[in-house]
Amino acid sequence: MSELLIEIKDLECNIDNQKILQGLNLKINKGEVHAIMGPNGSGKSTLSSVLAGNENYEVTNGSINFLGEEISEMSPEERSWKGMFLAFQYPVEIPGVSNINFLRTALNERNKYYGIDSIPAKDFLKMVAEKSELVGLNNKLKNRSVNEGFSGGEKKRNEIFQMAMLDPKLSILDETDSGLDIDALKIVANGVNKLKSSENATVVITHYQRLLDYIVPDFVHVLHEGKIIKSGDKSLALELEKKGYDWLKTDENI
Amino acid sequence: MIIKDLNHNSLLKKNSKLDLEALNLGSFPNRKEERWKYTPLRSLKKINFHNQLNFKIEHLSSLGIPKIEGLVIVLENGKFNSSLSNIIDLKEIELLFLNGAEIANNSQEPTQKDYFNNLNASFLTEKVILKIKPNININEPINLVNIISDDNCISNTQFNIDVFENSKLHIRQYFLGSSNSKDGFINHRNQVSLKSKSSLTIDKFQDLNHNFNFCNEFIDQEKESEFIMNTFSASGVILRNNVFCNVYGKNCHSELNGVFAPIEKQHFDNYTIINHFVADCKSFENYKGVIKESGVGVFNGKVIVHQNAQQIEAFQKNNNILLDEESKIYSKPELEIYADDVRCSHGSTTGRFDEEALFYLRSRGISMKKSLELMTLGFINEVIEKSNDSMYKEFLLKRLLKD
Repeated sequence: MSELLIEIKDLECNIDNQKILQGLNLKINKGEVHAIMGPNGSGKSTLSSVLAGNENYEVTNGSINFLGEEISEMSPEERSWKGMFLAFQYPVEIPGVSNINFLRTALNERNKYYGIDSIPAKDFLKMVAEKSELVGLNNKLKNRSVNEGFSGGEKKRNEIFQMAMLDPKLSILDETDSGLDIDALKIVANGVNKLKSSENATVVITHYQRLLDYIVPDFVHVLHEGKIIKSGDKSLALELEKKGYDWLKTDENI
Repeated sequence: MIIKDLNHNSLLKKNSKLDLEALNLGSFPNRKEERWKYTPLRSLKKINFHNQLNFKIEHLSSLGIPKIEGLVIVLENGKFNSSLSNIIDLKEIELLFLNGAEIANNSQEPTQKDYFNNLNASFLTEKVILKIKPNININEPINLVNIISDDNCISNTQFNIDVFENSKLHIRQYFLGSSNSKDGFINHRNQVSLKSKSSLTIDKFQDLNHNFNFCNEFIDQEKESEFIMNTFSASGVILRNNVFCNVYGKNCHSELNGVFAPIEKQHFDNYTIINHFVADCKSFENYKGVIKESGVGVFNGKVIVHQNAQQIEAFQKNNNILLDEESKIYSKPELEIYADDVRCSHGSTTGRFDEEALFYLRSRGISMKKSLELMTLGFINEVIEKSNDSMYKEFLLKRLLKD
């Protein structure tokens, strides 16, 4: 019997008084890969932001239980320390802060939370070398300002590099395939697959089935108007690719 | 001039008090004057100052600065403190200390009708003259330290710095207030003369705690000289930096950079004038304000390109971050151009940190406080990077970020 990682119950949430999620339920066990698909505006990105703790979204009802703890009131940093990770659809540029300094700070802040000593510079650099190889991140990019002047593909690789450094329990990849050419897509997917273990889980949010050829999901969910309206195995994604979403919407409305 | 009515360097008798407003030094500045529009001086005006010159500091390290090496000249409460100083004999530098009656004999008439300049000239207690001989390149920075450590003490001091032809000098200047003193005031003047092909960099650090510091800086540049001044303002009740850079020779480089970070109602004012009198020169200004907890920042910079000064390139920039609703910035970049073939631009921005960027950092497990710190660091880094000494940079960051 696999171990429960996160359980989302009846989740409702607003942004600017507009209801986005309207009673979402989802259970994810350790070792699983879930794909969340759905038409534009169905609430996919909102779900990822809410899980990561973006304070612009207000949770009005429901619960998010992550590793036995209710996290819907937790700060983003605390969720990260507990093992939550969001790979952003649009990674933010932070001028003047080097990638390396940023990551060292992130690791040390987590260590501080758990009462562990700061990571020695030598070990840190070794880890950086190891993990950046995973996604073939150019050496020069590590010393540049966070995401500044990075191409679309480099930004996405940088997200997976950060994921590798932080070694999260739950990784949410928000449209990581957008803006990637086929070669970059393979590299990024390959990186994600290497980070998979029986101790963690991955949520892949995507519009297209293409990414799921490389990151193979155990479950596929369809999100529509803030609710999961259908779940299935990977064949559901193929069906969606062929038929679109409209057949599901009408199905559901009957 | 009114100054003549007063005895030069008059030391006040014990227990007598100096009431700034009652002095006959010209009218005390008020906010009706354009130059003082953004900086009220009520808190300074109400203090009764004395200028008895006592020493209180035993070690420079108690003032929170890193160990400094090489030539160190320390003035404490307006007087040369030889035990805190490190006067090494450098053949290339001519060093002259003037105090007491010597100042009167060596005094210059104030060049400006400026109250604080007049105050400085009238009550001057220590004047240090540094002359760098021609064709000398001094690699190690020399250190000029000005300390206030006595409550209600006013310190009027001057450094005259002459860099002769083809020579190069780097100065680290510190203005420090001991943390247990309050309402002290360092009213300082730097008089800089740069001969042709000479170069001077001044890193100026201000950390006054509960004291005041005004600096009047007069810089005269001859042809092909280079002047760079980086001003780092960490703490003080009111800090005011008046920089008057007069470029008299062609092909000069003038550069003024700064980071000012007032908190808790501190008021930091940068007032600069660069005068381009002749053609073919370049000037750059880049000031960054990081303001929080009801702090107030002022940037008022003016570049004047005179009629015959063609082919001038002048760039002026002031960017500010306000970290909360209570903080304020007055930003006024100005260009006055009387020549017709120049490249000049100026700009000012004021904003808050990007919410999305903060969320990004926090989602990686960086606490709110540390995220703000990182973003602040990113914001001021461009100016901090002007220094190539990693120890000094680290020290600046620590004090400016109030870590």
